[in-house]
Amino acid sequence: MKRNHFLQGMALALCAVAAPAAFAQTYPSKPIRLVVPFPAAGATDLFARTLSQKMGEKLGTTIVIDNKPGAGGAIGSDLAAKAPADGYTLLLATTSTHSIGPAINPRLPYDTVRDFTPIAHVGDAPSIMLVPNTSPAKTVREWIDFAKKNPGKLNYASSGNGTIVQLTAELFKSQAGVFVTHIPYKGTALAIPDLISGKVDVLFDSLPTGMPHVRDGRLRALGVTSLKRSALAPDLPAIADTLPGFESNTWFGLYGPKGLPPELVARVNTAANQALADPDVRDKLSRLGIEPTTSTPSQLATMVAQDAAKWKKIITDRKITGD
Amino acid sequence: MDLITNLSIGFNAAFTLQNLIYCFVGCLLGTLIGVLPGIGPVATIAMLLPATYALPPVAALIMLAGIYYGSQYGGSTTAILVNLPGESSSVVTVIDGHQMAKQGRAGPALAAAGLGSFFAGCFGTLILAAFAPPLTELAFKFGPAEYFSLMILGLIGAVVLASGSLLKAISMIVLGLLIGLVGTDVNSGVARFSFDIPELTDGIGFIVIAMGVFGYGEIIANLSRPEEERQVFTAKVEGLWPTRDDFKHMLPAVLRGTALGSSLGILPGGGALLSAFAAYTLEKKMKLKPGEIAFGKGNIRGVAGPEAANNAGAQTSFIPLLTLGIPPNPVMALMVGAMTIHNIQPGPQVMTSNPELFWGLIASMWIGNAMLIVLNLPLIGIWIKLLSIPYRWLFPAIVLFCAIGVYSTNNNVFDIWMVAIFGVVGYTFIKLGCEPAPLLLGLILGPMMEENLRRALLLSRGDWSVFVTRPISLGLLVAAVLLLVIVLLPSVKSKREEAFVED
Repeated sequence: MKRNHFLQGMALALCAVAAPAAFAQTYPSKPIRLVVPFPAAGATDLFARTLSQKMGEKLGTTIVIDNKPGAGGAIGSDLAAKAPADGYTLLLATTSTHSIGPAINPRLPYDTVRDFTPIAHVGDAPSIMLVPNTSPAKTVREWIDFAKKNPGKLNYASSGNGTIVQLTAELFKSQAGVFVTHIPYKGTALAIPDLISGKVDVLFDSLPTGMPHVRDGRLRALGVTSLKRSALAPDLPAIADTLPGFESNTWFGLYGPKGLPPELVARVNTAANQALADPDVRDKLSRLGIEPTTSTPSQLATMVAQDAAKWKKIITDRKITGD
Repeated sequence: MDLITNLSIGFNAAFTLQNLIYCFVGCLLGTLIGVLPGIGPVATIAMLLPATYALPPVAALIMLAGIYYGSQYGGSTTAILVNLPGESSSVVTVIDGHQMAKQGRAGPALAAAGLGSFFAGCFGTLILAAFAPPLTELAFKFGPAEYFSLMILGLIGAVVLASGSLLKAISMIVLGLLIGLVGTDVNSGVARFSFDIPELTDGIGFIVIAMGVFGYGEIIANLSRPEEERQVFTAKVEGLWPTRDDFKHMLPAVLRGTALGSSLGILPGGGALLSAFAAYTLEKKMKLKPGEIAFGKGNIRGVAGPEAANNAGAQTSFIPLLTLGIPPNPVMALMVGAMTIHNIQPGPQVMTSNPELFWGLIASMWIGNAMLIVLNLPLIGIWIKLLSIPYRWLFPAIVLFCAIGVYSTNNNVFDIWMVAIFGVVGYTFIKLGCEPAPLLLGLILGPMMEENLRRALLLSRGDWSVFVTRPISLGLLVAAVLLLVIVLLPSVKSKREEAFVED
């Protein structure tokens, strides 16, 4: 038996060298490594762990999460970009690695378009606009009026220069035509006490971090940053209702290194879409504040190109520089 | 009566066979990694996080919490016997604890650490249970200005804490501040001193420096000495029980350490490490009783105070996590992750939405502390066996564990090279007679201080008076000035130099 398996394996290996199409049929024959360019237990990591289990079942293999955090996701992305294009190293990319990263850091060791093969857009996490419960504003419109009446007096908190949290606020400022001072923190968790006590006046934060404080009555949520009302927070109006076209999501996308065979991309794409249709996965993701999305590889590429262009414009217009 | 009802919910949840087993496993693992130098609770919890996915949430959190406070116990054993901090918060325990071991008083030192930890652990748990909701209100009084002033006080405290030359102590703090500057500036996003190495844009990790300077540096120094001079004092552990005199000195130190640790644990950035440093400073500031051994020479208060403080701090640092969902230190940040894995959003609602989890966790800490005192005092022999392995076997293991531990935090080989470099740096410090503890404090406080200073000034639109017009901030600055004046007073200064004559 053993010998038989060995011979079979040899034969398959030979086939793989001879014909790439046959290779795609045998894929995957060993565990797949999914590089998560952020630390364990963060939102991206939890997403990866939820998705990878079901996706692995659909592909008939195990997907191993490999956390490679550092430099805003650049270290893990670089690793995935330079891995062999055999489908055994994939990357869970986000807004910060592929939309904002290239605009804020011109010295990235990889090109987000040229060095990757897009596979699937797997999820979107909208943010919510949070104000202290002592704020006079009850709606987005009221808050804009409040900011216009107090030019230069209000502050917004962010998780640092060049992060999605800051850029969302800058997008809001530019569309609403208000001036609010930027107060950076190392992560939004550290900014929340100052927001609750009213030292800062507004923060755009993810649903899981913000909502508990809203339910507890310490903070008030004025709107959600997705283009339309979100199923994750059905009571909140979209900010776009007041500022037409306003949209800011943290997206999650599966990528492979450049030159991934199309048959292989299709297999992974199908597995991801199937996994995301699973009710259990959807339920877990909704608790993480993430809306699952299904897509084709080219839809991911188009979405990221638009998103990157939007943030590049904000970064240039508002003179936000990383260096 | 609320407290009693709540605690009974908690004990009901914690006293199931399964939860007791996980509590024990956590405490045991915690002691083990605490004893082994190099592997700390951050690395262990990070490694075990995926494994808890399959457990029920209460059991998972009980076990992870057990690792954290268990490591506070275990860390002191290594600090006293091997002159290596088994865990970063036992850095100051090394100073007097190891001196005691050298004098053949390892037993009382271990007992002081164990009993002090036990008392503080129980007290910290009680504080957590009774005052969690009202104490969080205190955190809201602290804005950037208050934090900045608190850190000024902390840094001046660090100078006072340092033994030996004042010049060397200040140099080490400044060096720590400078190392802390490496990385991306939060305000402008500019990478400082990163030399275009992507790994350096996140700064140099605290674990990397602590392991390098304290772990590898110490190993190189040990290996450079002839065999017989090496300092593992395991054979001499006999007579575990402290003398009546020891108890008299210990008790007030434990009480002070517990009070200090309980309050510092609540503050963001606080927790076990800061509490231990602060308690040691406080003990050193107290007048020596006649006949008492000087600090740095094996004073039992220098063991009991910080050990009580780090345990109390470890316990109360759960308060901001459980009540606000704000992790005050890296371990708590991992606990946030653990809770999120189990679909529990850490925050003020945990107490009402998951009462069995909230109170079960608290009750389990009480049980865990009782388990730990058994693990660490009567069974101390087992842990000593672990350390009585000949140094030629022990040091490669320590090197390996440190390397694994540091790799597992970022899964990056770069960090291991950094530890190696800082090992050489640490060895140089030992050769130059520079104490590395103030460097760590500078490293932690420096970036936080800069951040809060700039934030306070951004909020005040550049008006410096904000530091003196806010009462808490003013109070802290006045305390800092007073402390500075005391150190610089000619009489204290000369006594201080007398006390720290190099041996």
